[in-house]
Amino acid sequence: MSYNYFLGCVIPGRLPFLEASARKTFEKIGMKVGDQANCSCCPDPTGAAQLDHESFLALGARNLCLFEKSKSNVLSLCSGCTESLKTIKYILDNDNEKKEVINSKLKAIGMSYKGNIDIKHFAEVLYENIEKIKKMVKKPLKDLKVAGHPGCHYLRPSEIMNWDDPLNPQTLDKLIEIIGADPVDYNLKNDCCGNPVEKTDKEISLIMLENKLKSMKEAGTDCIAVICPACFQQFDFNQREINKRNNTDYNFPVFYITELIALAMGMNTEKLGLNFHRIKVNDVLQKIT
Amino acid sequence: MSKISKNVMVIGGGIAGIQASLDLAERGIKVDLIEKNACIGGRMAQLDKTFPTNDCSICILAPKLAECFRHPNITLHTLSEVKNLSGQQGDFKVKIFKKARYVKEDECINCGQCIEKCPMRVEDEFDMKLRKRRAIYIDYVQGVPSIMTIDRENCLFFTKNACRICEKVCEREAIDFDQEDEEIELNVGSIIVATGYDIFNPKSLNSLGYGRYPNVVTALEFERLISASGPLGGHLTRPSDKNEPKKLAFINCVGSRDIKNNPYCSSCCCMYTTKEAMIAYEHNNEIETSIFYIDLRAAGKGFREYIERGENKYAISYIKGKVAKILEDEQRNPIIVYEDINTSQVKQFKFDLVILATTMVPKKDAVTLAKILGIKTNDFNFFKANSYYPQISSKEGIFLCGACREPMDIPSSVVDASGAAAKAAEAIMRG
Amino acid sequence: MQMVEFEFRNELIKEDFSLNYCYQCGTCSSSCPVALVTEGEYNPRKIIEQSLLGLKDLLIKDQKPNIWLCCTCQMCVEECPQNVFLTEIFERIKNRIVSEGEPYPETFKTQAISVIENGLAIPLTQPIIRRREQLELPKVESADINEIKKLLEATDFKKKIKILEVSK
Repeated sequence: MSYNYFLGCVIPGRLPFLEASARKTFEKIGMKVGDQANCSCCPDPTGAAQLDHESFLALGARNLCLFEKSKSNVLSLCSGCTESLKTIKYILDNDNEKKEVINSKLKAIGMSYKGNIDIKHFAEVLYENIEKIKKMVKKPLKDLKVAGHPGCHYLRPSEIMNWDDPLNPQTLDKLIEIIGADPVDYNLKNDCCGNPVEKTDKEISLIMLENKLKSMKEAGTDCIAVICPACFQQFDFNQREINKRNNTDYNFPVFYITELIALAMGMNTEKLGLNFHRIKVNDVLQKIT
Repeated sequence: MSKISKNVMVIGGGIAGIQASLDLAERGIKVDLIEKNACIGGRMAQLDKTFPTNDCSICILAPKLAECFRHPNITLHTLSEVKNLSGQQGDFKVKIFKKARYVKEDECINCGQCIEKCPMRVEDEFDMKLRKRRAIYIDYVQGVPSIMTIDRENCLFFTKNACRICEKVCEREAIDFDQEDEEIELNVGSIIVATGYDIFNPKSLNSLGYGRYPNVVTALEFERLISASGPLGGHLTRPSDKNEPKKLAFINCVGSRDIKNNPYCSSCCCMYTTKEAMIAYEHNNEIETSIFYIDLRAAGKGFREYIERGENKYAISYIKGKVAKILEDEQRNPIIVYEDINTSQVKQFKFDLVILATTMVPKKDAVTLAKILGIKTNDFNFFKANSYYPQISSKEGIFLCGACREPMDIPSSVVDASGAAAKAAEAIMRG
Repeated sequence: MQMVEFEFRNELIKEDFSLNYCYQCGTCSSSCPVALVTEGEYNPRKIIEQSLLGLKDLLIKDQKPNIWLCCTCQMCVEECPQNVFLTEIFERIKNRIVSEGEPYPETFKTQAISVIENGLAIPLTQPIIRRREQLELPKVESADINEIKKLLEATDFKKKIKILEVSK
């Protein structure tokens, strides 16, 4: 079965350049990915799910129904969306009672969830195509130290995500390695970036971020690689905020892994929209060219 | 009517197997004691001290080793493993595979000249790979039988057809490269299994950093580090920089009481961590220790008092809270993240050395041996014991004792061994 | 004084039986990044303890510890030696806070309203649409808002999260 993109909210609505790099990367490795019309918010596993379980399931099931109708699997560009949709599928596929309740709600809009499609995070699919990526690398990112931040919803809960090791993740670092860069090992690799806590307490969210940055800095990284738009925002938008508050000088460029892959494949930096990053990426670009 | 054999075979020469053999032998029953290693002694020989008396472990064990060796009713089969079993209670036929020692048992006098000259350096399993031994060696200084063994996998003569230095230096002409592996057949009336345990490998618990952080070690490694006969000669330094550690932390229940690893209680880590902290303090009374625990299960005789003594006289703080996460600073100091459940505060604290109280797990070949013997294993691959007669296995004539049936400490293993010996004797005397 | 509400406890256990297996070892709080930053003021073990005891007022009314601080990273779930599904249990408790009309952080409400009105947590703006064109990205075919409204009416979303007045 082929894939359609599930874009979510943050990427198309705030960070379209991340989408550009993803589309270009998948095109380059010869994967045709379609677009799925009519999608709503996944919904946010850190948002709506916390308010009402049933609406969370119904909204997500509606999205899955759209893909079922198109007979295509989900290729998600966001870890949060991936976790939401995988969780909803897991619940509905394993709990008949809940599935019936949700289908009775979906009836109002003429839909019914069956459970015959698969959901994948884009990094999962990239990792599955790692040999292809290796062959396409034209400009290996030699000597570039990259602190990979796998984030939470890409990995956990492992019972549902059923992918990388939830406490010792490897796949993102392997992707960093395959494009010639040097994945950096740091103490707090597994920790949350703090983004979801911003909804409740910005102060705590920023301390969590600073802890991560400190740990990355100690390990001597040049830049940060992420695979989730929420993490991207946290790292790219809030380093300055931390500097302002604490008189620090964090200034790590933040990349989506697809941006780094695209660069290693020799793609044009303007078309990737790298100029839209808040933390300028010039130093890194100079280092790799 | 078939011939009734009166011998008992004991598999495993650790403290449980030794105690069972001695009990039987003293009763006038002939015993074949089968030991896989070159020397008997087992785990207890690796320990510096024993709780709750803090007696020197080898001082208690050594007389028993010697007694086992010279007892007229005990035949010691070292470097030996059970390969096949047939027959039934009263008349078991056992095939034993005995690896060649390449040293004449009657000639070697343990003078050690061969060891001095052997050019090979091999990871020393007895010292938890914390130092190297040679290719000709004895498991440990007090090992019994008190003779050398050549390790075929690493000896230059066997690997490269070279060297033979040991042969040249041995004044007793005890080296014999022509020895061959043997198969021995035994006829025994009953069998005691006392094969002991392995140690849980905490490398799989990524968040604790074992294997990544040099200053995070297991308790058995620590036991060797602090032992007078160990690789540091009893002068404790930490692996990363050879500095003397002043702040120690023990984490209890590593790999035990954990559904994702082993759900059972290790049954002794509350006690042995206290013991190791006490030994450390006796070496250097500037040492302060924190022991992180879930519950203090000090249920044995004098155990609770032992822990109180640790708290009052050995600068041990007991902190209620399981540790899930260890970090490391630039000086390679482990940093423990923990909740002190008594105050509900979550903190991080820097230590010089962290010791993981890893649990006992079944021997890695336990399932294979169970198949050979035709006995059952339980959910965790320990040998399955009868609920009401815990020394009775699932097969008539085969008895269990010590940590091969469930985790247990030394006093319990000794009690268990005497129980198994009584049962094994009963089985052949009835016949 | 805190009242023990057995009914509340039993409901939580019924929704996720793993709650019953907790033996209060503290692994969750040791692995929780928020607990560390707040020095245990946010404390997942305590939330589970209070759930097991049925201390409903403390959890739902006083919200101590503040359950909305959970960053949903699920480290506790992965590390828990008893396989307690903490985040799932926390979600049930938060759902209860919302449905019982107790206060919850404004940002959650704002996001929910955006989903109801736009189908998306972050609606597309003109500058972003232009930027998408600049990057040669296809037009986003957003959700049919009538469908979303109908579906959320079927699940009673607005009523449950107490934002009926907003849509008027």
